[in-house]
Amino acid sequence: MTDLSSTGPVRTGGTARRNGRGLTGLLLVSVPVALLGWLIIYPIFNAIGRTILRTDGTGPGFSLDTYVRFFSDGYSLANLWLTLWVTAVCAALLLAICLPLSLYLRFAKSRVAAVVQGLSLFPMFVPSVILAYALIRTIGPNGGVDLVLNALGLPKINSPYLTPWGPIIGLVWDNIPLTTLMLVAGLGAVSDNAVEAARDAGARPWAVLRHIILPQIGNAVLVVLSFTVLSIFSAFTLPYVLGPASPEMMGPFMQRTFGQVMDTRMAVTQAVITFAICAVFGAFYVRSIARNRKNGR
Amino acid sequence: MSSPLSRRAFLGTAAASTAALALPRITLAADGFVNVYTGSDSNISDFWTNVILPGFKSVNADARVRVVDAGDGAGLRAMADRAMAALGTDSDPQVDLFEAYTPDQTEGSIDAGLWVNFATAGIDNMEKVNPAAKQTDFDLPYRGSQVLLAYDASKVSAEDAPKTWDEMTAWIHANPGQFIYNRPDKGGSGGNFVRRAIHEANGRDPQKFTLDNYSDAYAEETLPGAWDILNGLAPSLYEGGSYSSGNTQSIQLLAQGVVTMTPVWSDQVLQSITMGVLPENTGLVQLQDLALCGGFSRITIPTNAANLEVAKQLAAYVLSEEVQSKIITELGGFPGVTWDSVDAALREKYADVIPASIPTFPGGDWDAAINDRWYRNVAPGIARG
Repeated sequence: MTDLSSTGPVRTGGTARRNGRGLTGLLLVSVPVALLGWLIIYPIFNAIGRTILRTDGTGPGFSLDTYVRFFSDGYSLANLWLTLWVTAVCAALLLAICLPLSLYLRFAKSRVAAVVQGLSLFPMFVPSVILAYALIRTIGPNGGVDLVLNALGLPKINSPYLTPWGPIIGLVWDNIPLTTLMLVAGLGAVSDNAVEAARDAGARPWAVLRHIILPQIGNAVLVVLSFTVLSIFSAFTLPYVLGPASPEMMGPFMQRTFGQVMDTRMAVTQAVITFAICAVFGAFYVRSIARNRKNGR
Repeated sequence: MSSPLSRRAFLGTAAASTAALALPRITLAADGFVNVYTGSDSNISDFWTNVILPGFKSVNADARVRVVDAGDGAGLRAMADRAMAALGTDSDPQVDLFEAYTPDQTEGSIDAGLWVNFATAGIDNMEKVNPAAKQTDFDLPYRGSQVLLAYDASKVSAEDAPKTWDEMTAWIHANPGQFIYNRPDKGGSGGNFVRRAIHEANGRDPQKFTLDNYSDAYAEETLPGAWDILNGLAPSLYEGGSYSSGNTQSIQLLAQGVVTMTPVWSDQVLQSITMGVLPENTGLVQLQDLALCGGFSRITIPTNAANLEVAKQLAAYVLSEEVQSKIITELGGFPGVTWDSVDAALREKYADVIPASIPTFPGGDWDAAINDRWYRNVAPGIARG
């Protein structure tokens, strides 16, 4: 959440150094950086090392056999494709739902807007497990929705439970608050003056959106996309409870390979592959932050 | 766990709880508590805390016993690894008794002498243990459960309920979409249903599978037949081949009237009926040609336990008539001892459901092989692509 401020265009960089407080700043960040190195950077290199270095007693050697096994195994690849597909669908749905929502929240000044904002943040406070079981009871087979439809004499819904659409619905619902918050923050950068000036010049709403608003929030959208991709790609609870037995998403697949098949090296390999894909989107995020800072100076 | 925020919160709590764990650990060894680790559901840890431990006071009034929830099998494995690492050193493994753990889950632990040999340890009541439940000398079967078929009795009459595998197959095909079993690694009810299919494909002979006879080649010879059987069932299962993600989810689908029949654990289904999750008239039936497999939960005791003597006393007490009878009445489970060793009145009352034998399927390497192959061969389905 601390990143939100950096998506704004104006940033007063370098004040700390100018004031001669650089050392204090460095000391303050040293703890999180050390934690990052210990809990994240080190495990990454440890994982990569464990998957590519041979440990069969013939001395140090180099081997990519688990990667070859993963990429030549139709079952594993199907799981990877499903994960990519679910992530892409979720990201598209999230943008489609949250962009209009955040435009409304940015420009509406009524009391209703405050209620909508509260509602849109609500999913943030519902744990995934609770959400999963709630979804089973509502849109699951013979769930709440079916009961209502049945009472109205309508046919039952084709329940998404135990299909890839189950986790998609859950993940979209779960990610609405963060996506909306980030988009609203991005929209904060769009000045009312610019929008009003365009309207005065006779621009229709669509033209305002396309030529005034969208160019200014491109960065925020990129950040939103990378964040959602990162969290959905590694999702565990919702795919585990709501998804089909096969293909599995990478989260449950890794857990099963580790805990059930007890093939730790393969599980780590799957994790490294997942991480590599997520890192691409992480790079997008880092790049957009860096670009922002440069613009701000 | 699916948003970055909750992940961050998770890391925070994880760090905090690790730190919190580190503190009492220093004092734990000296605090005189006997540590019982369990990975079972809360009904089991409640049973230990509220039934077994208060009763144990009559045997050993001074012992202070604490039940620790290790979460799941992986949690217990970590504890066993710690005991294994402490073996031969002065370190206290800080675990005195595992509520349900089998020695084969820690590689080489039997050879290393990690586990108490119950055959020679001179524990009271040992002679009462049901011989059919025994697996190795290093584990002590103390409670059992079997998998049954539960059905909606308003849709299926007791006479029409399937009593053999073939009748069941015929019923499933005659009632498409009305049967579901859970993924074999996510719960024993579906897991033992899959194992029953393996028995079916191998002449219904449970003797063909033992803890020691696993090999990739033997699995390749015995398992594919079961995948054919299960793939044959798939089109007639719920949604043309969907599999629920646990024992509870199967019961939930039965309770919501989505499916008509599903395999269930005997203790769990009895509890669901008592709690009103399932209606009073839920039908239960066991296959008569060969029962669905059951399982026994097995106590193991590390030889380097700090309170070894108390742990042995506790194991003996768990085998007593008092506790074994309560396993039937309070847990809805089966005793680990022979039925002659429980209260005569209970024996009379449960005469109808006492299984002549509960076939079991060995764990160990079979477990990982069966579950992973099921995912690769059965879960993807044919029609569903």
